[in-house]
Amino acid sequence: MWFFNSVIGKIFDILFLPFRGLSPWVAMIVISFLTGLLMLFIFRHTSNQEGIRRIKNKIKAHLLELRLYKDSLAQQLTSQGKILSANFKYFSYALKPMLVMIIPVMLILIQLNLWFGSHSLDIGDEALVKVKLMEGTNPLQTDIRLEVPPGIAVETPPLRIEDEGEIDWRLRATEKGIHNILFRYHDETFTKSVAVGQNRLSKIAVLKPGKGLLEQAFNPGEKPLPKNAPIESVEITYPGRRMNLFGWRIHWLIAYFGLSIVFGFAFRGVIKVEI
Amino acid sequence: MNHPIRRRDFIKSSLRAASLLALGTWCGLVTKAQGKKATSRKVIILGFDGMDPRLTDMWMKEGKLPAFQRLTVQGGFHSLGTSIPPQSPVAWSNFITGMNPGGHGIFDFIHRDPKTYIPTFSASATEDASKTIRVGNFVLPIKGGTVKNLRQGKAFWQILEEHDIPATIFKIPANYPPVSSKERTLSGMGTPDLLGSYGRFRYYTTEPKEIQEDIGGGEVHLVYVIGNRVEAKLPGPINTFKKDRPEAEIDFKVFIDPQNPVAKVVIQDQEFILGEKEWSGWKRVRFPLIPSQSVTGICMFYLKEVRPNFKLYVSPINVDPGNPALPISTPESYAKELEKKFGPFFTKGLPADTSALENEILDEEEFLEQDDFVLEESRAMLDYELGRFDSGLFFYYISSTDQRQHMFWRMLDEKHPAYDPALAKKFGGVIENTYREADRILDHVLGKIDKDTVVLVMSDHGFNPFNRGFNLNTWLRQNGYLRLRNEFKQEDLEIGFPSTDWSKTKAFGLGLNGLYINQKGREAEGIVQPGPDKENLVREIARKLEEFTDPKTGEKVVLKAYVARDVYSGAHVDEAPDIVLGFNRGYRISFKSPLGRVPKDVLEDNRAKWSGDHMGAAEIMPGILLANQPFKAESPALCDLTATIMDVFGIEKPEGMIGKTIFE
Repeated sequence: MWFFNSVIGKIFDILFLPFRGLSPWVAMIVISFLTGLLMLFIFRHTSNQEGIRRIKNKIKAHLLELRLYKDSLAQQLTSQGKILSANFKYFSYALKPMLVMIIPVMLILIQLNLWFGSHSLDIGDEALVKVKLMEGTNPLQTDIRLEVPPGIAVETPPLRIEDEGEIDWRLRATEKGIHNILFRYHDETFTKSVAVGQNRLSKIAVLKPGKGLLEQAFNPGEKPLPKNAPIESVEITYPGRRMNLFGWRIHWLIAYFGLSIVFGFAFRGVIKVEI
Repeated sequence: MNHPIRRRDFIKSSLRAASLLALGTWCGLVTKAQGKKATSRKVIILGFDGMDPRLTDMWMKEGKLPAFQRLTVQGGFHSLGTSIPPQSPVAWSNFITGMNPGGHGIFDFIHRDPKTYIPTFSASATEDASKTIRVGNFVLPIKGGTVKNLRQGKAFWQILEEHDIPATIFKIPANYPPVSSKERTLSGMGTPDLLGSYGRFRYYTTEPKEIQEDIGGGEVHLVYVIGNRVEAKLPGPINTFKKDRPEAEIDFKVFIDPQNPVAKVVIQDQEFILGEKEWSGWKRVRFPLIPSQSVTGICMFYLKEVRPNFKLYVSPINVDPGNPALPISTPESYAKELEKKFGPFFTKGLPADTSALENEILDEEEFLEQDDFVLEESRAMLDYELGRFDSGLFFYYISSTDQRQHMFWRMLDEKHPAYDPALAKKFGGVIENTYREADRILDHVLGKIDKDTVVLVMSDHGFNPFNRGFNLNTWLRQNGYLRLRNEFKQEDLEIGFPSTDWSKTKAFGLGLNGLYINQKGREAEGIVQPGPDKENLVREIARKLEEFTDPKTGEKVVLKAYVARDVYSGAHVDEAPDIVLGFNRGYRISFKSPLGRVPKDVLEDNRAKWSGDHMGAAEIMPGILLANQPFKAESPALCDLTATIMDVFGIEKPEGMIGKTIFE
């Protein structure tokens, strides 16, 4: 999984390379445009274009019936029934492309979350590092030590939550950089990156996953923990990011889907896709 | 008819304002600042609340206040005549309007409703939504409620604005909600917390504790540590969207390490670790009201102790300046602008939690830590505003001088009933250090100004010890002016006069300095005829009050009993208390008396930490005035400063403004 994640990750790294110093909106517009086109392309080649065209014409015809036969209740009800039925048919035509698209869309969203989901810490910011232990491991009997490089300060002793199988510390960012904090467990060591003072567009790995495949798939930003580690995951509580739209702070997903839809509709004629 | 009211009811009813914020009904004031003409002269006014001329003079002479000393040489230093009474809302209103209380209508922190004898807040009033519809358990507002500033008369920056002169007014007291203006103004003292109160802390502990609510608000929540976990609720404003008006509340959890003195607080989408004796910094909390409506506030957490007893303090929930639910600035965007620049900041009128110190929830050191946040924040914002001040007037207010003198005066005076030598050794220098801090602030400002800038340094009143508390209503009872229905009842400790026999009561005390005649036709159950009967009674009571001496000390308790008609002028004189008590040095109204209680003894030692005060006669409680250019006024007063502002900008003094410029 890590090999796959790192390949996808590299593609996005290269894709976003020119935009790192710019407003996140630039990268968001570009990626929305590209993925909008990609989705149109997939839709065109996986959907029944002729069927969609036909069913849309049918819906239009039934809508016309509704306007023409306003005085006939029976006709109105029949037309509405047929519109409903046509809609179901339309959705069934869209189902196949949606199933085909769901995997690439998920992969894209997971990658975008790394870039747009969180802020790096600013100098002076505090954050928690949360170590989730493997099920059945008692944090009170697990001697995990945290060591930090210059640039990061540990401000509290470990806080161990037995019920949750969790050990937390409070960190403070003191210097700009990508810092690797180190966990020492007996003779083994594990690291987790902590991003401080990075560009407005930068890749932030919130969670370092354990051996679970699903967890690795959803957290591709950092190499997973070794299989023999007593740790399920390590998380840094970065501040969440919002996109600034004329003073409105919106979630990146809203921006992404909004723009993708706009681009999709704008370019469907160019690609000759019936949606 | 009597209206018995418990303190909690009083707080709840008078603070229904809080619910307004839930409705989000206050219409934004002004959202854009106007274009302004550049002025050749500029004015900076630094308002240090409660800075006392005697202490200032003493420490100046000792060389501890070099910037003040420099200003004294440059322009002059004089005591500044304060208001009658010298209470902050009254005094600052004098300054804001250039009138005395008869003109601006603010006579005390507390006024009374003559129809019910119930105490009300003097400075602002709130009304719920006037039209609502009910849908099941929900109450939906159709027409919004209002929150209204009760001060009458124009504020000086409104007059400046009419002449196109820009002004920035930072946290001036007695300006909540801020009066309509296109200038940048941020409300100060009088601004409530998110609950609509003057500030209610929350204290979560495994150790039962009583709270003395007379001195301020707070609530102790008894919690249990089960499996190193505490589960509790943070109460918020009243939810007026619901039929039964419950308090909105947020669940939160605290996880405690079994050995280390640390705990993690998890509240909504935030989690943070605190070590023992650590502050969290501001945390934003959102109180859901109905699915489409919520209100946000900001608060600080302080982990006082992890074990053996768990003790977690949560500050009063301040209005979130980034998303203000109540009107705290003009234009509305000003508070947001500051929040964007500095992050969340104190918006509650008096930010330091004196109530938590009084109730020993916070100790002296913890209180000072909290107040240091206030000072630090103030300094940063002052610097920011100074950096862009290039025209017109800039007023800046510092509250710490007042708050620290209230709470630490007992450290200065060995005769104070609450004097503690050990504490005095440790904290005896707090007031002096605060004055030194004021000096550093002044020095910073003086370093930033040019030759065209007039600098005025002022305080609204001075300070003096509060050693003995006077129960006015008990004195009135003992002198036959106030009667309880049960003559054999020794005392009545319920607020709002529930046991008073109004048919035989001629006068009652309400507020911090006010005495009202139970006048027929004005008070609901008045018995004293207006005219000569009342006039004679007023003079008689005033004379007796001035003659009254403390049997313990032999000193007069009331130095001046001002008859309102003699000392006030303007359109609102009739709303004033009939007599305003000006206490002698060392005396003040007791904590029990202002809301209408009738305790057993007329005088009592003040053993509270709230040990310094300023309810004295105006003659002995002046503030300070310094300027960077010579001034000639022989006995300048607050109203004169307003006239001075008009004079500096060449504006003719408006009708009703009673002061004279100090530069003539």
